[in-house]
Amino acid sequence: MADANTKFLVVDDFSTMRRIVRNLLKELGYSNVEEAEDGQNALNMLRSGDFDFVVSDWNMPNMDGLTMLQNIRADAKLSSLPVLMVTAEAKKENIIAAAQAKANGYIVKPFTSATLEEKLSKIFEKLEKGEA
Amino acid sequence: MSFMQEDIATTLYFDRTFNCEAAKISPGEYYYTDNDMLIVTVLGSCVSACIRDTKTGIGGMNHFMLPEGAGADKDSPVSESMRYGTYAMEVLINQLLRNGAKREHLEAKIFGGGNVLRSFTTNNVGDRNAAFVKKYLKEEGIRVTGEDLLDIYPRKVYYFPKTGKVLVKKLKQLNNYTLVKREQDYSSKLKTNEVAGDIDLF
Repeated sequence: MADANTKFLVVDDFSTMRRIVRNLLKELGYSNVEEAEDGQNALNMLRSGDFDFVVSDWNMPNMDGLTMLQNIRADAKLSSLPVLMVTAEAKKENIIAAAQAKANGYIVKPFTSATLEEKLSKIFEKLEKGEA
Repeated sequence: MSFMQEDIATTLYFDRTFNCEAAKISPGEYYYTDNDMLIVTVLGSCVSACIRDTKTGIGGMNHFMLPEGAGADKDSPVSESMRYGTYAMEVLINQLLRNGAKREHLEAKIFGGGNVLRSFTTNNVGDRNAAFVKKYLKEEGIRVTGEDLLDIYPRKVYYFPKTGKVLVKKLKQLNNYTLVKREQDYSSKLKTNEVAGDIDLF
């Protein structure tokens, strides 16, 4: 289990889904969570904040989750930030694109809290081993 | 790995009554279109949200119910049940936004949630579905411009996304149990399939 102070940014254009993810994270012991409503908004927050982890939707207006991920990886300061995609896109092309853009994990909606917990702990485990 | 995904309706036909192309959607399906056509469905305890962009006329309809979640937390905002409903709404809205609709131009009309399944009435399945869709749209700031919810009768809903017109027929005499059977099948499918998608590639 990672540090309970891990600072999360939840990115989704639906406030209902942001609240669901925020509440699930809280259930898992993470209460240091902020929200952004699209990729552009998220990038601005990431560049000026000290976030440790991003959980992001794919389909969003202004800037989608994939473009945001590509921007994160291309940014010297943010490039190693862990990003977990949580999206309704289940097509193979989407998943391959996310993997190529170096997402740390991919969850397809609708998802269970067990799935979220499992993905998070896998990512933290890899980070500790220095693999991610 | 098991999935309970919302699918695009594939039943298209020419409707002689309204003299236009039509898509018929079943429980767990949705449909959206930019064309001047009709989307039709029959609702028991399920709900449908008919959502359109008032400026461009692109619009669509979904048809779903909340899975009967496990135990006491089924109405909690993070329950499996609520997450499924949120997903069913998001899939339709995402398609509209991706095809040019603007969130601030969206309007919704909502139907269904009748307590028609005798074995379900004790659980108020229709009430839960209706309450969910109202709350969801309110929280997402999407205007509701029409609704016909609850009661005990099934409804046939005809939606014309281009104009936003809706016709609702209450089916007071249900001659057969096809509808009831179909909803029960859908409900038990939601229960037996774990409502989650999981992909492991990393």
